[in-house]
Amino acid sequence: MRKLLCGTLMAAAALSLNAQSVKIGWFGPETGDSALWGQAELATVQMMAEDYNAKGGITVGGKKYKVEIVAYDDKGDSVEAVNVTKRLISQDKVVAIVGAQGSGEAIPVAPIVNEAKIPLVCSTATNPKVTVNDNGSINAFVFRACFTDPYQGKVAAYFANQKLGKKKAAIFMTIDDPYSTGLSQFFKESFEKLGGKVVAEVSYTSGEKDFRAPLTKIKAANPDVIFIPAYYNDVALAAKQARELGIKTLLLGGDGWPSDNLISLAGKSLEGCLFVNHLDFDGAAAKPMRDEYKKKYNKNAELNSYMVHDALAMVVDAMQRAKSVEPVAIQKALTTCDLQGITGHIKIGPNHDPVGKEAWLIKIVGPDMKFQEKFAAKD
Amino acid sequence: MDQFLQQLVNGLSIGVIYALMAVGYSLVYSIMNFSNFAHGSVIMLGAYFGFYALTKLGVPFYVAFFIAAMATATIAVILERLAYKPLRDRRAPFLYFIITAMGASIFIDNSVIATIGPTPKTFPTELLPTFFQGDPLEWGALTVGRVDIAIFLVAATCLALLMIFIDFTKLGKAIQATAYNMKASALMGINPNFVIILVFAIGGGLAGMAGVLYGMKYQVFPQMSAITLKSFIAAVFGGLGSLPGALLGSVLLALIETFVSGYLSTQYRDLFAFIILIGMLVVRPSGIMGKDAEDKA
Repeated sequence: MRKLLCGTLMAAAALSLNAQSVKIGWFGPETGDSALWGQAELATVQMMAEDYNAKGGITVGGKKYKVEIVAYDDKGDSVEAVNVTKRLISQDKVVAIVGAQGSGEAIPVAPIVNEAKIPLVCSTATNPKVTVNDNGSINAFVFRACFTDPYQGKVAAYFANQKLGKKKAAIFMTIDDPYSTGLSQFFKESFEKLGGKVVAEVSYTSGEKDFRAPLTKIKAANPDVIFIPAYYNDVALAAKQARELGIKTLLLGGDGWPSDNLISLAGKSLEGCLFVNHLDFDGAAAKPMRDEYKKKYNKNAELNSYMVHDALAMVVDAMQRAKSVEPVAIQKALTTCDLQGITGHIKIGPNHDPVGKEAWLIKIVGPDMKFQEKFAAKD
Repeated sequence: MDQFLQQLVNGLSIGVIYALMAVGYSLVYSIMNFSNFAHGSVIMLGAYFGFYALTKLGVPFYVAFFIAAMATATIAVILERLAYKPLRDRRAPFLYFIITAMGASIFIDNSVIATIGPTPKTFPTELLPTFFQGDPLEWGALTVGRVDIAIFLVAATCLALLMIFIDFTKLGKAIQATAYNMKASALMGINPNFVIILVFAIGGGLAGMAGVLYGMKYQVFPQMSAITLKSFIAAVFGGLGSLPGALLGSVLLALIETFVSGYLSTQYRDLFAFIILIGMLVVRPSGIMGKDAEDKA
């Protein structure tokens, strides 16, 4: 486990003795399968802290505070996520936590932050159970910057059925990942409600590389659209193998798709395919950060960069409105969050999820991801 | 029926890859009576050698393929000299060999993660021979990937050549004799050290080829060695130490896996595969074609 302190912050702390600092925790996968996204998040929160501190810190209740990011690697593992959260709370005494990008990590962490009364703002944990428990109670201290899977599934189903006129869908999901199974279920419900039919539901286990057997099953069912709620690497493999099996059907996906690596891994096999995203990468709202990130790290910002940006912005905004850096006051202010972020308008609803946040349909055209259409919540 | 034929092709295309990998496990086992778990990591290195020879050195694919095979053959021999020979000289128990092999495997895998990084890579299609660039071949409803055809041809050729080498050449006879009884064949003038190096070089070379082919079929990534464990299971299934056994075990295991995941569900695939494996070992502990039931590791 590695502890990272912002370099600038230490320099800044040395500069002025009277400026106080406020500690905000971050955790996510710096190693493992989703390391690409974890590293992008960490780079972003560090960049933001440097920007805040370059201006002398953030102003809360008339006082200046330096922002200190305490970061830990959770390896994309739920046990490790619980350990690092406990460490952030008891040892580092952070006032709020951002990150927790995967639902698999955010769900087990939720009871811990509730008990310790430390607010957690998730970047991309989209499963409904992150904020709302099975018995319907709300995790008081858990919030998120992203829309949820039921919403995402609904958008994908609506687009496939109403806009593209697809009637027969197949679903190809990761059986041991709650993100994938959850999103599949919500897509199926919405698609069938709209009058479509799910003709095949097949799955694979994470870590597998050969999908030909389950894909052959999909081919035999002859769908006119295939929904793949998985992460980019599996999507690339599945798309290539599907094309090799002669499946020419349109592939449709969710927010696990967007990555700088997706198209280089998938080659031409994803041409013309579509996915639901949290923002338009090329849009005006994303431009300042995209340029700053590119200049600083010489890499393209990932989806998670923008999401964690908004999560941290929510925390800072809550502190400023609460005029306090006390965790309970921050939590209270977060419940009334109403903020224009890079990824859209974030108005926290009664379930601690953003309500009415737009989803963006993106199409893969050659080496680019082209924005197609924007959807707002419809119930 | 269409689906059955397609699944049969799917299964065979996985089976030949398992076979190329399993032969390496089997060869070493036949001589040294231990399972060389570092073999999977050598396969992974082969994929990286092929990938970088193609993309960074810019050599034609056939040359990159050859470079990968040569490089892994060398690495396998170095591994034998550095890791296993000291143990042999001290007549260490077989368990130590297995632990050393696992250690070497972890070392190699993590070196790659630390230096190259964990992000998977794909062979760029435009750098491959033109044969690989077209659409998959179709016969009615049956589709066969171009990479799969190439894998099948390469694997079949290599395995046929290997069997001819083992059965009909003097060196091959030396390997067979050493496998049968190392002490007696040493008394007959066969240098066991030379035979061991030869076996590691052959296994390593095949590993390099298997790595490149696997990388072309799927991706190149540091955790590849975990997947090659399946080929070890196939080697046990067919009878460790027997080449035709490794082949048969690989194809059978791949077919069982494919049909279970195609007709039942992916979740049951490993369950069925392992039940059959365990059942097989209970009824016939030496595997389908194995000769020796002792020391099965």
